[in-house]
Amino acid sequence: MSIIPPSGTAEDAREGMRTEAVSPRSRTWRAFVRNPFGLVSLAVLFLIVAVALAAPLIAGEPGGYSADVLAPPSAEHWLGTDNIGRDVYNQIVWGARTSLAVGLGASALAIVLGAAVGIGAAYFRRLDTPLGMLIDVMLSLPILPLMILVAALAGPSISTLVVVIAVFSWPEVARVVRSQALPVVDLTYVNAAHVIGAPNRWVLLRHVLPAVTPVIVVSVVLTASRAVLSEAGLSFLGLGDPSSWSWGTILYNAQRSGVLASAWWTALFPSLAILLLVVAATLTSLAYNDARNPRTRGDSAR
Amino acid sequence: MGSTTGRAARTLAMSVGLSALVLAGCVPSNPDAPGEDSADGTGGSGQQAEDTTLNIGTTADVVNYNPLVGNSRTDTWVTNLMYPHMMTLDDSGQKVPALATDWGYSEDGTTAWVEIRDDMEWTDGEALDADDVVFTIDAIQAEQIGTVAGMIGAYESAEAVSPTRVEFTLSRPDGAFLTSVGFWMPVVPEHIFGEVESVAEFANDSDWVSAGPFVLSTVERGQRYVLEAVDNYPLVESGTPNVDEVVFSVYPDVNTEVLALRSGELDLIGNALPPAVAEQLSSDESVELYTVPSLGWAHMQYNMRRPPLDDVDVRRALAHAVDYEAIRQVVLGGNAISADSSVLTPVFEQWQDGLDLEEYAYDPEQSRQLLEDAGYSEEDLTFEMIYDQADPMISTWAELVRDQSAEAGITIELAGLERNTYLSRTADRDFDIYAGSWAVIDEPQSNFSLLFAPDGFINYAGVEDAEINELMEEASTALSPEDAKEPLQEIARIVHDQVYDNVMYVEQFNFAASSNWTGFEPKPSDLLSLVNPQSLAQASSG
Amino acid sequence: MGLLRFVSVRLLRGLLTLWFAVTVTFFLVRLLPGDPALAVASPTMTADQRAQMLSDFGLDEPLLVQYATYLGQLAQGNLGISFRQNAPVLDILLERLPWTLLLTGSSLVVTLIVGVPLAVAAARRQGSALDRAVQVGGVVGQALFVPTVGIFLLYVFGVWLGWLPIGGAMASDVYGVAAYGSILAHLVLPGLSLVLLQLGPYVLFLRTSLIEALSEDYTNVARSKGVSETKVVWVHALRNALLPTVTLVGLQLGFLVGGSVLTETIFAYPGIGRAIYESVGQLDFPVMQGAFVLLAATVVVANLLTDLMYGLLDPRVRQT
Repeated sequence: MSIIPPSGTAEDAREGMRTEAVSPRSRTWRAFVRNPFGLVSLAVLFLIVAVALAAPLIAGEPGGYSADVLAPPSAEHWLGTDNIGRDVYNQIVWGARTSLAVGLGASALAIVLGAAVGIGAAYFRRLDTPLGMLIDVMLSLPILPLMILVAALAGPSISTLVVVIAVFSWPEVARVVRSQALPVVDLTYVNAAHVIGAPNRWVLLRHVLPAVTPVIVVSVVLTASRAVLSEAGLSFLGLGDPSSWSWGTILYNAQRSGVLASAWWTALFPSLAILLLVVAATLTSLAYNDARNPRTRGDSAR
Repeated sequence: MGSTTGRAARTLAMSVGLSALVLAGCVPSNPDAPGEDSADGTGGSGQQAEDTTLNIGTTADVVNYNPLVGNSRTDTWVTNLMYPHMMTLDDSGQKVPALATDWGYSEDGTTAWVEIRDDMEWTDGEALDADDVVFTIDAIQAEQIGTVAGMIGAYESAEAVSPTRVEFTLSRPDGAFLTSVGFWMPVVPEHIFGEVESVAEFANDSDWVSAGPFVLSTVERGQRYVLEAVDNYPLVESGTPNVDEVVFSVYPDVNTEVLALRSGELDLIGNALPPAVAEQLSSDESVELYTVPSLGWAHMQYNMRRPPLDDVDVRRALAHAVDYEAIRQVVLGGNAISADSSVLTPVFEQWQDGLDLEEYAYDPEQSRQLLEDAGYSEEDLTFEMIYDQADPMISTWAELVRDQSAEAGITIELAGLERNTYLSRTADRDFDIYAGSWAVIDEPQSNFSLLFAPDGFINYAGVEDAEINELMEEASTALSPEDAKEPLQEIARIVHDQVYDNVMYVEQFNFAASSNWTGFEPKPSDLLSLVNPQSLAQASSG
Repeated sequence: MGLLRFVSVRLLRGLLTLWFAVTVTFFLVRLLPGDPALAVASPTMTADQRAQMLSDFGLDEPLLVQYATYLGQLAQGNLGISFRQNAPVLDILLERLPWTLLLTGSSLVVTLIVGVPLAVAAARRQGSALDRAVQVGGVVGQALFVPTVGIFLLYVFGVWLGWLPIGGAMASDVYGVAAYGSILAHLVLPGLSLVLLQLGPYVLFLRTSLIEALSEDYTNVARSKGVSETKVVWVHALRNALLPTVTLVGLQLGFLVGGSVLTETIFAYPGIGRAIYESVGQLDFPVMQGAFVLLAATVVVANLLTDLMYGLLDPRVRQT
């Protein structure tokens, strides 16, 4: 997945800094709340994180086996059981931990890399052309086959997955951060700060970083949710970590035991968990971007 | 309409045109297009409308068309339809005539003979005669090709004394020689394979010549392998196959195969079904399930070259730490029988009487006690277990073995490996614990020396037992099953007692075919199953 | 001569991308932990074959020499020998490339044909129920786990309704027009799942661009001149919104082509994606590498074509 919907424009950034009457942040927040998707999807995200944190309290630890093989959903097994009688609900609840850990880990790493490259490209003009080119090239490559190659070479483990996903997810972050940082660097007072001899670090910390923080926040959510999807895809292809539970592992087991179609619950529920996470994350960031952009925010239209 | 919309429309039109180009580019590559059909089969062509086709699903491409070298299931299924074996199995696993009609040994056991049919011929018109048999076994011995090379240690020379009779000279009596060669060795045409520099490296990937019921005519890698019926196949009553064409279609996994069977796109799934799938299909009336026994077993072996696995107490502790009944019931869905932890599994009915071995009981406490008494602490007891991760049964029960062994204070680290890596590590004996299965162990008299002789080809555990060596000598020279019984049973007792090989179960394979088809002749093992030559030649629809 | 310069810049960039893809794979394979010989020589090869492959690719030489050798071999079309199939990687993959092109190309076209009107409708009624539905639909499509959707589609249309075939790219005994029909029938389900997957990004992107364009001065000017709202949307706004969308096609191509791995696998479609899936199970590294390089080349060529289209579309490019 590579597309983050267009975020605020240059005018947006400038406007935000000029208008003092209503702070841009609270205006954004009000617009976010007005969007019916915004709050609901944010709440869903929190819910998923809460489930992952509370796993030991709300579900038995998956593992072992039972004679109750491939039982459909029932009062005893809410989401049915898999091919060796393990409860699917337990697996999904505990799987949320691994999936989110992989997602957040990969996202954090990708954000650091992406933000560094993005800000670097925007701020140091001589680097802009080569870095911009690098970002474009990375974005245009078919990433999944490359991830597959690397994961297969490095051998399956959680840390492999995190690194592989991160290494191929940062360009998207870099692209967004760069486009957000460029207009800020151009602003007259940033230039002025430069002229009066403020050190690079000060300018970056004081002016550029605050300006790109919102897109970074959005990127964390979005990149993490997509990392979860990538993890599921890689696991499904047999490149997951066999000794841990993740949503991808559940799907891989369902595929391996040949019951994808007949025991639909083994595949449907983990897929729904992934769907819910990715949709909630994407809608949250969409609503946030819409709320930040004065044009899509809708107050100019009305 | 403004010129701007015109441009947008043009963009769209261009994209459509582009994809039409791509489409057009695909069709000429269609090997089924008229005029490009390379069929060199003898039946079928020209009567497409009434052709009957049997569609078989498989999950792998054919890698090697050379029957002497090929090793994947799909390779074997396809080449078995073209290169006949002298013997096949009946449904109880006994060797019965195929190309051969009769066979036997001389009094002293150092010569053996086989009579073959006189009515078989290759599809290019050459007769299949005793010379082909002699050529094949000589090539195998000269170039040491495949597993057959490991079974013919006693072989010295062969002679075609008539077009239908071969006589073999053996260096020592070997009661399993004829049945091993008869069942395992595909006979290849001397007039083709004799023309190449190296038989082992001959790819045999075009212009196939067959003496089986079908001959390969079209190959579309990644998609399908089309075999056309031959005119003359005397091994079935009708003298010719009932279907005009057999097509092996390649699917990525069993999930899509099952859907294709249910939709009617496939008539038969070649691969053994996972138990859960068999269970689900058993209630589907459009599908017929066939059950055949395995002729091998699933097992774990402990590498005795590596301490502390050289200590029999450690091996016993490992053996008692696993609940084999749970594995058979849950992972295999009950489609397996206990082997009583014996290498003379219940499949060998003729050698069961008086054997009286019992399966290692699941008892983690006993395991702990054994280890404690022998002076081991938990730090000493970490083992890596390797297995083929593509095997859905083993990779599932490996997790059970790990979890249950942990109860006994033994740490097992799972290493599910890609098949070739797994094979090369077992060949190098580079593992602590090995989990795997034998497809066919059909002749204990000769196979046991592969398993337990110090230089045995598949002696993974590193068994070196003087008593066993003597007993094997005794068993292999016995020319009747009765004479072989005593030594074989004694070997089984020692192996059980010393945990040289931990035999866990003998699987029952399930295969599924459309209930529109009848006449299949299921044979034991997943190598023969429903896709053996006789079975496919007899099958008919409607 | 603006167009010529434009084209040569794009060509150069395409070559750069390809070089980058090749270089990345080369160094990844060699610098990751593990046996670098695995990149070209299988443990199951015969000693002669192995030695041949190792010397072809100069595995005994210093890294930079190896790199030069590798580029040289690639330039000659030598992508190595498949471990498992014992055949040149290029031959194996070229057999499969047409199917991947057909599948991805046609699903891209369908995506655009369906996506543009949807985006226009959503943008014209911003905040309406339709707009919300389009947004949610687009987002959900991106979040689908392809194999699960694939099995569902196969079950419904293949088994239950029996309208469409389950696997493969065409039936075996079909000729002439029937062959086209068979190809089309086999294309529908995998194509549909790819369209579902990538419709979202296009619609959402185009919708946002359209909304921005509709509040630009030039659309207001057009309105004030009495141009009908339909024409404002479909002609003035869409034209400007389409240009960035063409760029998006370029960005999305890699994702689309990469996404074919899961799609082709679950639908048993005999393209490059499934070749990748099969090579993963067998750790057939040369095929994995070759497939990536070939897919990257496909993306580069397709990007060049979209760039050219962009050049023809955008008067600024034509006139500079």
